[in-house]
Amino acid sequence: MKRTLDLYIIFLISLSFTFTACKKEYGNLNNPTVEDFLLNASRDQLNNLVIGTASGMRNNLGLYLDNVGVIGREIYRFSGAEPRYTTDLLGAGSSTLGNNNFYITNPWAARYRVVKNCNTLIESATGSSSISAAEKSGYIGFARTIKAYQLLLNLNLTDSNGIRVDVADPAKLGSIVDLNTALTDISNLLDSAKTDFAGATVSFPLPGFDGFNDAAGLLEFNRALAARVAIYRQQWSDALTDLNESFFDLNGDFYIGLSHVFGTGSGDQLNPAFFPQNQNGEVRLAHPSFAADIEANDDRIGKATLRNAPASNSGLSSNRDVWVYTSSTAPIYIIRNEELILIYAEAKIQTNQLPDAVAALNRIRVSHNLAPYGGAVTQNALITEMLNQRRYSLFAEGHRWIDMRRYNLLSQLPIDRPEDDVWTEFPLPLTEQ
Amino acid sequence: MRNLLLYMAILIGVASPQWLVAQEKTITGRIVDANGNPVAATSIFVVQTSHGTTTDAEGRFKINVPANATLTITATGFKSQTIKVTENLNDVQVKLEEDVTKLDEIVVTGLATSVKRRNLANSVATISAKELNGIAPPQTFDAALEGKIPGAYTNMNTGAPGGGMSVKLRGVTSVYGTTQPLYVVDGVFMDNSTTSAGLNFVTNAQGGGSITSNQDNPSNRISDLRPEDVENIEILKGASAAAIYGSKAAAGVVIITTKRGKQGRTKISISQDLGFVKARKLIGVRTFTADRAASLGGTDTALSAALRDQFLQAEAAGHIYDYEKEIYGNTGFARNTVLSINGGTDKTDFYFSAAQKDEQGIVKNTGFRNTSLRLNVDHKINDNIKIGVSTNYINGSNDRGLTGNDNAGVTFGIALAFTPSFAELHPDSKGNFPNNPFSASNPLQTIALMRNNESINRFLTGINIDAILHRSRTSLTRFVARGGFDFYHLATDAQFPAALQFQTVNKGTSLQGSTQNLNTNFILSLVNTLNPNEKLSLITSAGITQETGDYDNLLNVATQVIAGQSNVNQAGALTATQFRAKFQNSGFFAQEEATLIDAITLTGGIRFDRSSNNGDAGKYYAYPKAGLSWNLSKMDFWKSNLIDNLKLRAAYGQASNVPAYGSKFTSMVVSNMAGYPGSIVDVQQGEPGIKPERQTELEAGFDVSLLNGRLGFEFTYYRKYIYDFLMQNNLQPSSGFTTQWLNAGDLRNQGVEIGLNAQPVSTRKIRWNTSVNFWLNRSLVTRLTIPPVPQGAFGLVIGAFQIEQGKSATQILGIGGPGGSIATWGDQEPRFQMNTYNEITFFNKLSLRFLIHWKKGGDNINLTNLQSDFGQTSVDFDKVTNKQGIPDGYYRLSQIGVTAQQFVQDASYLRFREIGLYYSFTKLPVRYVTGLRLGVSLNNYFTITKYKSYDPEVSNFGTGFSTGVDVDPYPATKRADFHITIDF
Repeated sequence: MKRTLDLYIIFLISLSFTFTACKKEYGNLNNPTVEDFLLNASRDQLNNLVIGTASGMRNNLGLYLDNVGVIGREIYRFSGAEPRYTTDLLGAGSSTLGNNNFYITNPWAARYRVVKNCNTLIESATGSSSISAAEKSGYIGFARTIKAYQLLLNLNLTDSNGIRVDVADPAKLGSIVDLNTALTDISNLLDSAKTDFAGATVSFPLPGFDGFNDAAGLLEFNRALAARVAIYRQQWSDALTDLNESFFDLNGDFYIGLSHVFGTGSGDQLNPAFFPQNQNGEVRLAHPSFAADIEANDDRIGKATLRNAPASNSGLSSNRDVWVYTSSTAPIYIIRNEELILIYAEAKIQTNQLPDAVAALNRIRVSHNLAPYGGAVTQNALITEMLNQRRYSLFAEGHRWIDMRRYNLLSQLPIDRPEDDVWTEFPLPLTEQ
Repeated sequence: MRNLLLYMAILIGVASPQWLVAQEKTITGRIVDANGNPVAATSIFVVQTSHGTTTDAEGRFKINVPANATLTITATGFKSQTIKVTENLNDVQVKLEEDVTKLDEIVVTGLATSVKRRNLANSVATISAKELNGIAPPQTFDAALEGKIPGAYTNMNTGAPGGGMSVKLRGVTSVYGTTQPLYVVDGVFMDNSTTSAGLNFVTNAQGGGSITSNQDNPSNRISDLRPEDVENIEILKGASAAAIYGSKAAAGVVIITTKRGKQGRTKISISQDLGFVKARKLIGVRTFTADRAASLGGTDTALSAALRDQFLQAEAAGHIYDYEKEIYGNTGFARNTVLSINGGTDKTDFYFSAAQKDEQGIVKNTGFRNTSLRLNVDHKINDNIKIGVSTNYINGSNDRGLTGNDNAGVTFGIALAFTPSFAELHPDSKGNFPNNPFSASNPLQTIALMRNNESINRFLTGINIDAILHRSRTSLTRFVARGGFDFYHLATDAQFPAALQFQTVNKGTSLQGSTQNLNTNFILSLVNTLNPNEKLSLITSAGITQETGDYDNLLNVATQVIAGQSNVNQAGALTATQFRAKFQNSGFFAQEEATLIDAITLTGGIRFDRSSNNGDAGKYYAYPKAGLSWNLSKMDFWKSNLIDNLKLRAAYGQASNVPAYGSKFTSMVVSNMAGYPGSIVDVQQGEPGIKPERQTELEAGFDVSLLNGRLGFEFTYYRKYIYDFLMQNNLQPSSGFTTQWLNAGDLRNQGVEIGLNAQPVSTRKIRWNTSVNFWLNRSLVTRLTIPPVPQGAFGLVIGAFQIEQGKSATQILGIGGPGGSIATWGDQEPRFQMNTYNEITFFNKLSLRFLIHWKKGGDNINLTNLQSDFGQTSVDFDKVTNKQGIPDGYYRLSQIGVTAQQFVQDASYLRFREIGLYYSFTKLPVRYVTGLRLGVSLNNYFTITKYKSYDPEVSNFGTGFSTGVDVDPYPATKRADFHITIDF
């Protein structure tokens, strides 16, 4: 009887050893891990990171445009379920911008996620032995350019509250730097990317970058961004130098440029800023001042089409839909020639080369069915005219609020309800402090 | 491993003398209850052996016993008795007494062992078949548990057909891990996960463009189980009782035993329920006037004038509607048919049931259907080996509608909140619905055209082998193997045709999900029972365990869908996602239970477990347990006549919760563009060193029974610590990550459970059994290694939960404190809860049963009224009760951003959960009918509450940590049923 028991015990113990021996580790069944890319990445893997970066730039972009558009009094954003577009963003009553609300936390995190992807791309390309040095430079130049652009978008939101630039090591983040330092860092990042592109080979696909998807084209894109940063830094002559190296063309098509493209393919996104006309509930409307202030015959009125019936919410009302993005697969521009012409005009005004500036402004005016500029040819008058042209040419593309802030003119933006406020900047997200 | 060897050595040491052959005699007998009715399936055992038999349907038995043996007679619900076999005893008639205080109930103590409650060291709650399903049966199994578990916080998430319920045993045991108990059905670990149908793609409830979210309100998979099949439920509420289940038991274990066959004549039973379902409460809508209609235009005078005209025209035409009533005010018809067959011989017995339930919801085109087949077979291969098989096939289909939070204006509730009564939403004569000018959707159109269906095919099989390896006069060694599998395929099908108002961009959306899940588990154990003498009994058990899971979810999102089509290829665009999760836990355990002089029970045990989800998949974690109970009334010195049973008990144990699958990896997720594949860093940073969260629980208490067992009283105090609780930490987003899983701190729950069982009236004509329970729990975060940040809900402006050191884990904070500070406005934890279950039987024929449940305190974040205020449609919008003298609606709107206090509301309620009246006929019309019962019942029919929404039981976020957030849910329902059961 003792023997039988012993047998059972031996059976049981050997069974448990069997289980001890086969330790299970299933790995990640759903996704590759970061480590997979860092260890000698293949060209395909690097290209995946490039596309992931370009694709990720679109995350929360609609919300960014809402933020900048609503505070800059370009648009109203009404939402049945989300009151904060009309309370917090417009400063209704005693509402202020919160530091833990979706409008700042979501776009902020989305931009830094792309920065992280750019850093992963830089690290993966550096560690890859399957690509040439010229290809390496191409990937790194692209990553640095996009990183600089993403940092700039966050800085546009938080302005004098600053941003974090050194974020390479998640465990040891650099400190928050102020506005001027941040702009300098962004400018330096663009310059180092410019160096990368010299002698680089770019052989990766870049949807939305048609005509710019080689080293020379990416350099032009890089310099266009550098020109934008230069006017933000009031480095006017630098802006003109940068424009010369960019795709700026005073007589060229306004819509030559680079964009985020959208599609219905698997894992792709639709244009988040597209809202069909005459919707109810969820709507983007042109601020009433858009139509009120526009010059007669300006064809840019087509960017805000008349509705069948006005829409209203919380004491706000408008009868025009924003009609800049006219389909769910329409592109959203990163930067385009019309902006570069206006940057050229601005830099010329500021460097007191007023006839050149007037010529550039007239290029904009005449193309939009307006008579050539007839006002005073003084720096002040031309700045007003330039800002006005920027307002209509770049409507709902995320510029007005930043432009008015640059010139300390936020107080001129219209207030719709007595207790509304025009904010100068977003607070840093709570989790960032 | 060494511990197991050590244990085995003990086991060998105790296996001792040989079976002594004694002179035998045959005894026959009949077992009856207090009224002389036969008690079938009573067990008759020879004391200190495993030799025994059971009674047949007439209560008769026959057994061969050694001379001078002692027999014990035990039957569920009755006190056990012992009979001393004497020379003259040949035929016995035994009358069993009702076990009011449940002291003779057999309660589980380990994976393969059990003990009578009178010797139990833990407080284990049990629910009988009658309590579960015999009062006023609700729609689903999970709902049938509501208000019946002392120590639990049960909460129905939604009134949508198919349910969805949260059960939290003894407080929150985890913040981001599983808060829900493990369900074990006949030894099979039954999956209770929820699978999102991808509704977030349409509702955008959780912004950021994700397809799935925790706001889709899917049903819990435990709802597939048929309550009619359940014989008994035992609930291990904390680690002190559940430690032997190791790494899956931190939130408690619900052990469900289904009905088994009974020896004797084959009994066929058919029961039919017919009833109706209605909303428990409608909130009401604002009464509009021309001025109020005009005020919707705000400062836009042209719009105001147009709205005034629209109202006046609608009023003149008689087209003022109560849309809430049209949407939620319907009556759903419900039917349920159950056929069960039950029988067996001395070697084989079986239980078979076939059941179908079909119910309509209170919203048109919603409903619930469940079809179930069960076959349980037990067979004795020989005197030593028994094998039992339990099989269950389930086919279910729920149409759940579209409710809850939403950022796109598409759910019924949100659309309703923005639609004034003078809007025209009804279809024209051609059947075309007009667009709703006040919202992004026309809810009548949405209800008519959409579909949100979950359908399930599920198969469970459990196998139980019990083999006697060795038997002697004093020792019995058994090999017990239990295990099985649970496989289901869940299809989710959500259709939003292009004709819908909100489908102007996507032009028709079809969300097709397919989920396969296979769970397997087994326990192999050796159990030795040793009775060296009458004063000592030792039960030793040891064994190995393994659990695996394999979940595979495919979700296809098709847009630009061709009219009338739902297949995902009938579409212009298609996005596919897949999520898989796989785990294997394995472990081994050993347990020793010693009973001295039938009065003192000592239990000690340990389980070692590892899991592939842990950072270190090879590391074993140990979960010890120990218990002590001392039945003073069994001691020689005990002399009281008043108190016939007094037991002191204490127990300690550990259990854990493994991390979620994948929390150790930093993933690169797919992010495509223009047909090119792209990879982007996930927002969640992996934590390679992730550990399970570990719970230790100490409970102590006493049980008293008085007046010859007619009054029983139980008191339990528990204190449990959850160490290294898992949390998703918010990272500084500039790192590129927003969250990270980590072991973030410790929290404590402590509480009291008091129970009373009594039989206040027991005459020949009337019998009244009652039980009253009181319980409360308090939690405290004792350590937190990360800064406190708002969790769950929607931020501090409208109230949010926040885990904070030194505070209750379920506190609700919000803006509006003094000087602009953040204030604590409430706590989800109820102050206390009470329930009472009563059964009053008249003349042994008419039985009145009712269950009352009182939840005192516990706050919700109520945002339903806020939505109606935004839409200016709330029923009390124009009342003036505030100090500023403006309409309350405007006042409340003005307080948004000032204080969150108005949203945090007391969700107390006193609810008549279940009331049933049943009549059993004793004189039957025809011979072949052996039983006939009629009944009527009301479920959740009466509720007393001050809470201002559809119902205080609600959860927009499903079964997670943050229950009690109320955003335009599918209204909770009540039901009335008529029941008839015929036995053949």
